[in-house]
Amino acid sequence: MKQLLGFVAAAVILSAIGFSLGSYQTDVYRKMLLWVTLALSYNFLFGIAGQVAFSHFTFYGIGAYAIVILIFQLGLPLPLAVLAGIALCVALALAVAIPATRLEGFYLALATLAFAQLFIVVLDEGGSVTGSAGGLANYRLPDVFGMKVGAPVYTALIVLLMLATLALLWRLDRSYFGRACRAVRDDAEAAQAMGVNVAKTKIIAYTLTSALAGIAGMAYAFVDNTVNPPIFGLQNSFLLLFMVIVGGSGRHAGAIVGAVLLYLMPLVLSPLIGHHHALVFGVFMVVVVLFQPKGIIGLWDWLKAGGLRRGRIA
Amino acid sequence: MNDFLELTVGALASGCIYALAALSYLLITRPTGIINFAVGEWSMLGAFGGFLLLSKAGLPYPVGIVLTLAAMFLVGWSTERLTVRPLVERGAPPLAPILALLGMLVVFRETVSLAIGPDPQPVPPAFGFGRLELGAVAGSYQSFFIIAVTLAVFAAVWYFFERTLAGKSFEAVAIDRRAAALMGINLRRTTALAFAASAAVAGLAGLLVAPNVSAHYLMGLPLAIQGFTALVIGGVGRVEGALLGGMILAFVEQLTVRYAPIPSGLAMGVPLVLLIVFLLVRPTGLLRAREALA
Repeated sequence: MKQLLGFVAAAVILSAIGFSLGSYQTDVYRKMLLWVTLALSYNFLFGIAGQVAFSHFTFYGIGAYAIVILIFQLGLPLPLAVLAGIALCVALALAVAIPATRLEGFYLALATLAFAQLFIVVLDEGGSVTGSAGGLANYRLPDVFGMKVGAPVYTALIVLLMLATLALLWRLDRSYFGRACRAVRDDAEAAQAMGVNVAKTKIIAYTLTSALAGIAGMAYAFVDNTVNPPIFGLQNSFLLLFMVIVGGSGRHAGAIVGAVLLYLMPLVLSPLIGHHHALVFGVFMVVVVLFQPKGIIGLWDWLKAGGLRRGRIA
Repeated sequence: MNDFLELTVGALASGCIYALAALSYLLITRPTGIINFAVGEWSMLGAFGGFLLLSKAGLPYPVGIVLTLAAMFLVGWSTERLTVRPLVERGAPPLAPILALLGMLVVFRETVSLAIGPDPQPVPPAFGFGRLELGAVAGSYQSFFIIAVTLAVFAAVWYFFERTLAGKSFEAVAIDRRAAALMGINLRRTTALAFAASAAVAGLAGLLVAPNVSAHYLMGLPLAIQGFTALVIGGVGRVEGALLGGMILAFVEQLTVRYAPIPSGLAMGVPLVLLIVFLLVRPTGLLRAREALA
């Protein structure tokens, strides 16, 4: 009950912020919320289920392209297009996950990296379906049940999507499935011996989080009202990984902090130091891995436990 | 047929570049199990070494190449000392050094883009831009140079692993770290040497390919992907695997671009499909690692 109230309060406050922003701020705010949504689901995949996959941002792209193509080229109504888009993401995720999760160690990273690059090749060569290198543009959100969706309402929808993702992953993390994921991450053989179905756990974790990324991508398609290949390149896959690590992998709060911080960092830094912000970013990443492997949220825990008074980091 | 022979020299030369990149991964992965995603960025540094020393300072080619390789050796050595060793000694999970190296990838790339600028820069080839024709087989001087240098590198590495004690100790670490350490092999030195040699090989690949593609701060990623595709095809266990994988990848790439009835853009996806197929069907690669003798 208390949690439910917390979620409702968060939804009200975060949506209210959306109503008070100008158009540039709205754009930044929406993208930040989407990054948080993505970081939350990637945190489940990478931090909790322990799969080093570089395909998460690709599913974001698949969702975005799918909804635009389904609505504006196949003429599906919005609700049907959303369902079809989710089905497509699930089917593709299963097609990747069933063979790829059998791979040991870092071969999963390589396979998903290849998949991510292949997606870009397909986008570039998709002709009029994907709009090739220029992507798709000049479309706008269709009316829902005959009503035009205003900008602040759409922001509120993204807030709800983010909170729904958080709530779902929060519950899952505390269920048998979440514990099974952590067990598989820490020691697959031991998990198997304890009766966890390792393959099934990996496949469900991958498919579920990829579908969540796809849904976030659908929301993104109507933020910029354009989708093109460079947006969904590898750079952003790496950025997503860095967000989760800097925030503190395996922790929902960490994913949120990491996503907000790394998304806003270039916006704050580039007026001050120009392109140097990218270098700051790389150094930041190395320093976090070397000195604070539990991320910013680990630092917070340490402060809360009275770390400053006791001295050194445990 | 002439068409095919024309293609052969070019394909062999690109295969050699992929093979060098694959060797660079292999030198680190074999003894440490770490996949270093910054290999492509090391190649980029090598290419810019060529730009600074050969194009700007105008040094003679042999001097430039030796200085670049020496600098890359230092880059690899210090990367290991600064970002990998602290993590290994702390007993961090195996993923940690990989993530640190991924961060270093950004550091290398952005340092170059800030220090030298985002524009592509020229790097001269070893013997000018001429063409060499040996009967029906023809190609640029640089292609033949790449092939010769790569064969020399692989021969040297093969000799090192097969015939020298230091090479054997490397192999021993690859087969069983713990047992190797108990036999008195210095793990730290082996790891540092692996990184230094890997960086030198990657830098060489960048320096050799730069006359064709220009030195650019984003040139690393395609090379990195081609390199580990070649590695996966050939198998991480054997040095010869890197060469074999590089050649297979280059020929598949060139033949599909030339002969397959698909748009050239889609042909770029063929190596990626090849990588995925190999990962799924034969993740150990074509050549298997030698097992420890029972």
